[in-house]
Amino acid sequence: MEEWRQIFIHGMDMFNVVIVAYFFLGNGMYTILMVMSLMAVWLHNRRLAYQGLDEIRESPVTPPVTVIIPAWNEQEIITQTTESILRTDYPDVEVIVVDDGSTDQTLQRLMDYFHLVKMDLIYRPRLATRLVRGFYMNPEIPNLLVISKENGGKPDALNVGINMARTPYFCTLDSDSILEHDALLRLMRPVVRSPINVVASGGIVRILNGCRVEKGRVVSVSLPKSRLERFQVVEYLRSFLFGRTGWDLFGGTLIVSGAFAVFHRETVVEAGGFEHDTVTEDMDLIVQLHHWAVRHHRKIRMCFTSDPVCWTECPSTVRMLQKQRRRWQLGLCQTLWKHSEMLFNRDYGTVGFLSFPFHLYVEALGAAAEFMGYFMVPLAFLFNMVPPLLYLLFVLLSLAYGGLLSVGAVLLEELTYRRYPSFRELTTLLFFAFLENIGYRQMVLYFRFEGVVRFFAGFRQWEKVTHVGAGS
Amino acid sequence: MPFLIENIIKVVFALLVLIVIGNFVLIGLAISRRQRREKYFQRIDAVRAEFRPVVGEVLSGRMEYQEGLKRLQQISGLDRLYLLEQLLLEKKPNPTEEPILRRLCEDLGLVRIWQNRVKGHVDTASVREAVGRPEGILERVGRLRFLIRAKSAENLGIIRHRDSWPLLVKALDDPHPDIQSVAARALAAIRETESFPALVAQLHKVVLDASATALSLRSVKSALVSFPLDCAPALVRSLQHPNRRIRFLATDILREMVLREANGDGQYDLDRKRVGVEIVEIFLTQLPFDENPDVRARSAAVIAFLPDPRSTPALLTLLRDDTWFVRLHAVRALARRKFLSQAAEIGQALSDPNWRVREAAVATLRTYGAAGLNQLTAHFIHTDDAYSREQVADEFQRAGLIPDLLQRYASEDDSQAAQVLNRMARMGKTGYLVSVLSADAQPALRKKFLLNFARNPDPQIRQWVERVASQEPDPDLRSVAAAALEPPSAAGEA
Repeated sequence: MEEWRQIFIHGMDMFNVVIVAYFFLGNGMYTILMVMSLMAVWLHNRRLAYQGLDEIRESPVTPPVTVIIPAWNEQEIITQTTESILRTDYPDVEVIVVDDGSTDQTLQRLMDYFHLVKMDLIYRPRLATRLVRGFYMNPEIPNLLVISKENGGKPDALNVGINMARTPYFCTLDSDSILEHDALLRLMRPVVRSPINVVASGGIVRILNGCRVEKGRVVSVSLPKSRLERFQVVEYLRSFLFGRTGWDLFGGTLIVSGAFAVFHRETVVEAGGFEHDTVTEDMDLIVQLHHWAVRHHRKIRMCFTSDPVCWTECPSTVRMLQKQRRRWQLGLCQTLWKHSEMLFNRDYGTVGFLSFPFHLYVEALGAAAEFMGYFMVPLAFLFNMVPPLLYLLFVLLSLAYGGLLSVGAVLLEELTYRRYPSFRELTTLLFFAFLENIGYRQMVLYFRFEGVVRFFAGFRQWEKVTHVGAGS
Repeated sequence: MPFLIENIIKVVFALLVLIVIGNFVLIGLAISRRQRREKYFQRIDAVRAEFRPVVGEVLSGRMEYQEGLKRLQQISGLDRLYLLEQLLLEKKPNPTEEPILRRLCEDLGLVRIWQNRVKGHVDTASVREAVGRPEGILERVGRLRFLIRAKSAENLGIIRHRDSWPLLVKALDDPHPDIQSVAARALAAIRETESFPALVAQLHKVVLDASATALSLRSVKSALVSFPLDCAPALVRSLQHPNRRIRFLATDILREMVLREANGDGQYDLDRKRVGVEIVEIFLTQLPFDENPDVRARSAAVIAFLPDPRSTPALLTLLRDDTWFVRLHAVRALARRKFLSQAAEIGQALSDPNWRVREAAVATLRTYGAAGLNQLTAHFIHTDDAYSREQVADEFQRAGLIPDLLQRYASEDDSQAAQVLNRMARMGKTGYLVSVLSADAQPALRKKFLLNFARNPDPQIRQWVERVASQEPDPDLRSVAAAALEPPSAAGEA
């Protein structure tokens, strides 16, 4: 019996060490990312004063772009999204909406709104896809093509769009999203300006809930009313302004949100397109592109810019949030597992030695460690293995540190873009940034833990998050 | 062990205190900054509201220049420069406003300040200034001054300050990449012919030694194509450069320059005096035979605009090139009515092994109007090449020609239209046809179509016939459709 007790105590000790290591390693890295992002985003914001968007707009050298919008049962918002893209400020843009076998009126609404007719066009499947049922166009709007296909998931729909695209670059856009009028122009700026071949460029995704939308445009920005949505506003700010910017600075971009990103078409086709074996096809593609670059000895760049804005609807119920976060975590685990040979592989440089291990140990497995920590550490406390005071201090430290990161993100927003105009909204954001770590963070952590469990259970299904049309 | 635990507790406690303080500091910073900004911008907005109409009136000529200048000279204080920049460069000036704006910027001393700043002479702000206004920190911290310098170069470009071009050419070799790229853009905006060779030199640098410059290839190219065609002679050395990539880029830059000048005008011809005889000769005698297929391909568009009897044979040579994208560019270049006589040659490209060439050939023939369309139609009816047929059918649909085709079919005894419809039905390309027939087609057309095509096995036509048979209000059409649905023997008996 004593022997078992010793083993248990030893196990608990080990786990506590893991938790403490995770805490310091993870938060240390977050601190570095935060400090670097604070400077970089501020500097980038200052540089916008001479960004020269006019030159990109007017130059014949600016490459044309195809915006691909995969849609599945998006009848409420699809016409609004499509219209907003057709009116976007970009010199040469084509729009391809891929209806992924919707069972609602998605296709019919598009046909009615844009007066589309069915056409039997040539389809050259460079990337293998499910059966395409038909093409819909209006010769009066030659830059809009709607494709109807058998349901095959988002990656399949995106691959159909890539097969039909003619332009050197394509932009993926979620059907529940709205681009700011010059977002595409801004997103293409690194492509035009960078001396290194940019194969992927991602922008910031902001929360549409609470904003006022007119004719496919966000005309006034406000915070959403519900607490759940407000927490997500803070979360998105932190994730995009700190996380993505920080990794971009390190040259270790591993995630570019597929909700709004530009890719070089030929490179994506050569890398195999969007694959179906993970539920986060956007991250998977970025990792594949890293592989492609190493295999072909190409110097490429995948970058994140914080000023091109895409507004998207966030889950407004706990159930939907759970589905979303579970899927993100599952996809993260699947992608990292799929490409595990990158881990500490010197061929991949920063990605292999910093970004990949961080995403694996802190973002993916860390969710499980943190979640279990909430149970194991009190257990250790009950067994008199950790002094109660130390336990309490650690919990407080964890909460305060989480608060610091979120408050820092709000401060960065205030220093740079200030999308939420009123003073009241700023204080609300700060309040929610502070409050986020009490309750909301633990709830999301539970959803992420579920994602990890599902990964180990071999779950592979895509969970659809339904939208209600948040922008009024 | 207890000693260790005590120490850990102390460390954790200290960290906690530090982070809690950090939290409050960040919150305080965010709130105080918002409050300061609001106050600051209330003041700035008030000045802007007062002087914006003055700027508008001076630029539009509604206010006497001297009076406007005098009023604007009244703006003073720490923010003077910032305010004037905001007021004068708020929106891009139109061509009539531009000279007035330039004069205003010169008379208000802004140009001198901007030029000095581009040179690197930025006045250091005091600590009070640094915290008192948004630009202050940039003037205070040496490492951030590039932001001010780059903005100044941008401003010189916005007002197209011609005299500043030597300064901007120097800035192309500035140690800071931002200054280099803004200088290139400003030079492109100013379009001073004498600065063109400096940008060409940058192009060579980017290709031959990318580490020598921070400029991207697209940035340099974008700047170069903005210049007028008169600058083209400066590209002669690049067009004959031993490096194949430089030759390609020079050819492509000239192509873009020519296309911009042509601005879609089908009648446009290149003035050989403007580009220089040497360039014309290079394009006609060297580039179509260059070992680099990219060069051959990009030369086609320029050759098409040369009013020279040798241009058509040169293009036809390119049209028969072994490399598919050379043929593609040649076909595209022939999309001008002056090459109508070459329709037969282009017709051959409809059967090209590469689909993109076929697609371009279809589009080119379409630009020839009725003659091109007739050729397309004839090709579509008679060709045995399935790929080529598919391509033409694709274009008929994308270009929205189906309603017109149906109209021709209905209104006259146009056997060609009937043959096209017949072929499309056999190919299963009937989605658009059926959509037009279902939407707003005349009863006479529908009846004619029913009589000729109702028994066609195409599933889309079949579905439409079934719909007509069951839902059509016109009894005549309904009965024709119903008869077509009956098995042939039953129909015969009836």
